[in-house]
Amino acid sequence: MKLGIVGKGGVGKTTLSALFAQTYAARGLRVLAIDTDSNPNLAHSLGLTTEQADDVPLLPRSVVVGRGEGSLTPAELLSQYGAVTPSSVTLLHAMRITQAGAG
Amino acid sequence: MRSILGAAIDEEADVTLVDMEAGLEHLSRSGGTLAYADVLLVVMEPSRKSILTAGRTIVLAEELGIPRVYGVGNKAQEGDEEFFREVCAEYNVPLAGIVPANVDVVEADRRGELLAPGEGLAVREAVVRILDFVDHALVGVGPS
Repeated sequence: MKLGIVGKGGVGKTTLSALFAQTYAARGLRVLAIDTDSNPNLAHSLGLTTEQADDVPLLPRSVVVGRGEGSLTPAELLSQYGAVTPSSVTLLHAMRITQAGAG
Repeated sequence: MRSILGAAIDEEADVTLVDMEAGLEHLSRSGGTLAYADVLLVVMEPSRKSILTAGRTIVLAEELGIPRVYGVGNKAQEGDEEFFREVCAEYNVPLAGIVPANVDVVEADRRGELLAPGEGLAVREAVVRILDFVDHALVGVGPS
């Protein structure tokens, strides 16, 4: 199941996203949380330190929007780019699409 | 895989959750990150600006064909429940739930930390109700 959380900046998306992710994880589900903000806010909300958050590699743009060159399997993708957080939610850090386009 | 949210990621995750940065680019027709979402939660607070953003987002999400688009009212104080109900009725989307304003959340934000266990209980209860709403809406759809 793929769940998107959207809303104007400051409405509390990240706090709610972290709580949704933790709640699903507490129910025994495998949860993948994808942060699309250039600041690692979701990483903090999921319990990573700033240092740990900085170590989470950015997903390449080709993986985020898809242009056909992505050859990683989902398992490879998670092992190369995912960070397991204290709440057992796996975090991926996707780069900002607008920023990538502006290059 | 065509996109991070393409079908294949479901092999590795029961739930894939995307916290979208502010802005609507991710809902564009061409390869928007959320084009594959099963459920979109549009978070609002009791402010006209957040409601206007929500309205534009809901229109785009429906154009994209996201099958379930729900409103969530956050930071609710006395009287805001009715406000969020009216907004969702106006936009013709179900209201998945209302999350109360909470001092523990404000303080955790100030610290830049995780909400500690035992903190923000009313918020946690609201979150559980919202996920129950989502689960209920997905019943009959089968495992994604």
